[in-house]
Amino acid sequence: MATGPLRFRTPHIEELPTTGSKQSPNYVYMAVSGQQEDPAKNWGTNNRKRARASVGKQTDQQREALSARQQREVERRIKDLNSDYKPALEVVVPKRDGGAGVGSAAKAGKTPNTKKILASGKTFTHHLEDEEAEIARTGRRDGDAEAPPATHRASKTPLARRKAREDSSLSGSPAPVTPMAPPPLPRSAQALLPSSNAMEIDVEDDDDEYDSIPALPSEAEMEALLNAPPLTYNQARSAPPPPGAPPPRRFCETCGYWGRVKCMKCGAMTCSVACKDDHDQFKCLKMYA
Amino acid sequence: MARQKPTTTTPLSSSAPAPNRTLILDNGAHTLKAGFSTPTTTDREPNAATDSHTIPNTIARSHRDKRTYIGPELADCADFGELAFRRPVERGYIVNWESEKAVWERSLFGFEGRGEGAVLACEPQETSLVLTEAPNAPAVLQRNADEMVFEEFGFGGLFRTTAPALCAYAPSPFPSTASSSPSGLPLECLLVIDAGHSHTTITPLYHGRPLHTACRRLEVGGKTITNQLKELISQRTFDVRREDWLVGEIKEDVCYVSQSFNQDLEKVWRGGRYDQRSSTNDGSSNNDIVVDYVLPDYETIKRGYPRPHDAGVNVRNRALGIGTGAGGRREHILTIGNERFVAPEILFTPSDIGMQSEGLCGTVLQALNTLPSAALREAFLANVVVVGGASLMPGLVGRLEAELRSTVDEAVLVRVARAGDPVKYAWLGGARMARNEEVMREVVVTRGEYFEQGDLWVRRKFAGKVGR
Repeated sequence: MATGPLRFRTPHIEELPTTGSKQSPNYVYMAVSGQQEDPAKNWGTNNRKRARASVGKQTDQQREALSARQQREVERRIKDLNSDYKPALEVVVPKRDGGAGVGSAAKAGKTPNTKKILASGKTFTHHLEDEEAEIARTGRRDGDAEAPPATHRASKTPLARRKAREDSSLSGSPAPVTPMAPPPLPRSAQALLPSSNAMEIDVEDDDDEYDSIPALPSEAEMEALLNAPPLTYNQARSAPPPPGAPPPRRFCETCGYWGRVKCMKCGAMTCSVACKDDHDQFKCLKMYA
Repeated sequence: MARQKPTTTTPLSSSAPAPNRTLILDNGAHTLKAGFSTPTTTDREPNAATDSHTIPNTIARSHRDKRTYIGPELADCADFGELAFRRPVERGYIVNWESEKAVWERSLFGFEGRGEGAVLACEPQETSLVLTEAPNAPAVLQRNADEMVFEEFGFGGLFRTTAPALCAYAPSPFPSTASSSPSGLPLECLLVIDAGHSHTTITPLYHGRPLHTACRRLEVGGKTITNQLKELISQRTFDVRREDWLVGEIKEDVCYVSQSFNQDLEKVWRGGRYDQRSSTNDGSSNNDIVVDYVLPDYETIKRGYPRPHDAGVNVRNRALGIGTGAGGRREHILTIGNERFVAPEILFTPSDIGMQSEGLCGTVLQALNTLPSAALREAFLANVVVVGGASLMPGLVGRLEAELRSTVDEAVLVRVARAGDPVKYAWLGGARMARNEEVMREVVVTRGEYFEQGDLWVRRKFAGKVGR
C-alpha cells in the first residue's frame, strides 16, 4: 500500500497470501525518480500555480510554452488578422435590376455545372478540407496519373520538415512536350562549367576565393525538378522557425515599445511603470474576467 | 458525386479558328488588372500604364449611402466611411463565383452600358483569356474556374496559370540585363516574390516554368498588415476596426519598413516614468517618425494626408477658436508613431503576432534549400524580383536585401529588385507572352478542346503534364 506524499502513480502491489509465508511488513521500498521536495512545502494543494512554484521549478522551456488556452487565443487572433470580412457585416450581391430579358436563366448559370458553382456557398476552408480528405482517401492528388509509389498520408507538415522526396516522375506521360521548352544550355555556358556535376574543392591550396564554379544540374535533373507535381496548399506553407531561434518578441500593450514587465493577472506586457498603470486601470483583463 | 460531362451549348469543332484577341486578366484578391493584347500587327510593346486597367475586385456596401458598389463602381463612391467589403477572392483563389461574376460583368463585358475607361468591351467568343491564380491551388477551385470560363462566360480559349509564372515574360527589372530580354521569351532564372493582398508567395522560375518543390507561401500579406494596423490604432487612439478603406489609405501613405527596427523603436519611445525621453517639441530625431494624419471627413477633406507631428495643434486651435462651435471646420487628427514600422514588421517577423512561421528572408532560404544544387541557388539569389502591391512599401526591398545578404555566404551575389510597376508586372508579362503566337498556340486550350477532352485533361495540360 502506498503511503506518504508520492505524486505519481505507483503500480498496485499486493501481496497475495500464501500458506507458510511469514508475516510481511505493510510497507515496501519503491524506486523513486525525480528530485524529492521538502514535504513541508508540499501540502497537497491542487492549485497549479502554487504547486508549480513549490513542488518543482519549471524549466525554461516550460515557462516559454503557452498554455493551451493562450495558444487558442493566439490562433484566433491570427485568423482574425487574416480574415477579409466579418460575417456580421454581411454584404449580399444585389439583384440585377432592369436586366432587360436577361432574367433568371443567366443569373443562375447556363449549364448544370455552373449552376452548382454559382449556388454553392462553400468557403475556402471547405474546399481545402475536401481536398485534404480526397488525398487522404485515394492517396493521390487530382491530376496526377497514378498514385505515388509510397503510401502517402496527406500531412500538414511543411515540406521543409520532411525528408526530401526523390520521386519526381509522377507525370506518367512520356516526355511531355512543354510549351516553353528550355533551350539547351548555351554553348558558352557549357564550356565554362566543369564537366561533371561534382564540386571540386582543393583542400591543399588556401584559395577560398577561387572555389571552382559549382555546376548547374544537368538537363535530366532540371527536367525532373520541373516535372515534379505541384505541392498542395498546406505543403507549400512556410515552415515554423527552427527550435534554436530566439523566442518571439513581446511589445508593450500601451505604447508599443519592448515589453519588459508582465502583468501578473493577465499576462500582458508593458514597458514601464507609466504604461503599466494605464494597463491596470483600463485594459487589464481583471476588469472583465 | 457524379459530375456531368460538359455539354456543348453551341456546336464548336476543334477546327474552328483560334480567337484572335487575348484578354489578359490578372485576377488578384485586391484588384483586377485587365487589358487586351494581340499577337502583333503593331510593333508597340504593351504598355502597362495605358493598356491595362486596374479594377477593385470587391463588392462594397455602404451603410451611410445604403448603396452597394460592385467592382468599378467604387470609383463613384463619395463617402468611404464604414464601407463593408466582401471579396470574391479568398486567400488568393476565386471562391465565390457569384460575386466574381458580378464584378467581371461590370468590368469586362460592359454591363449596363458603362462605356467608360474602366470597362473593356469584350466579346468572349472571339477572345482568349489568360487568367492568373495563386500557386498551389486546390484542384476543385481550378476545375470551377475552367468550367465558369468556358461554360458560363463562353470564352474562346483559356490559359490558366499562376501569376508569378507570367512575370518571367516581363522585362527584367535589373538594369544590367534589361536590354537583352526580347518580348515573348522568358527570362532564364527568376525568383519571384509576390507580396500580395492575401499572402506572399515565393516561386523560383526556370525559363518561365516554376520549380514546384521550392514554392513557398508566407501567410502574411497586405491584408494582414492592414488588419494589424487597425488593431494597433484601435488600441491606442480610437476605434477604426470597421474602417477598412481608411486604414488601407493610411497604410499606403504612412507605413514603411524600417531598416533597423531596434533603433527606430528607441527613437519613438516616450520613456518610462523615471526616464522621460525628450518629447517632440525640441526637434529631436523622432520628429520625422511621429506623424499627424488628417482624417478625411468626405465633405471638405476627401482624402486624408499626413503631416509632421505638431504637439500643440489642439491647444492652438482651441485658443484660436478654430473648429469649435457649429460652423468651424474641425480637423480630426490621428497621431501615428511606431505603428508606422511595427505593422509592416510582421512580414519579416511573423512571430510578433504569434504566427509560427519564419519571416520573408527565412522563407526564401527555405525555398532555396530544397534545390539540390548550389549553383541553382546562387542563380536564383542573383535574380530576385519583388512584385505585388505590398512591395510598394518604402524600405521593403532594402531590408530584404540586407537580410539576405547577412544570411548567405559572402561570395554569393545577391540582387533584389522591385519591378517597375509591381501591381501590373504580371499583367505586363502576360501581355508580352501573348504577342508570341507560337507560345500561345501551344499553351491555350480552345473551347472545342475543352468540350472534347474534359476538364481533367485541361487541368493536367495547364499543369504541364500533357503534351499537345
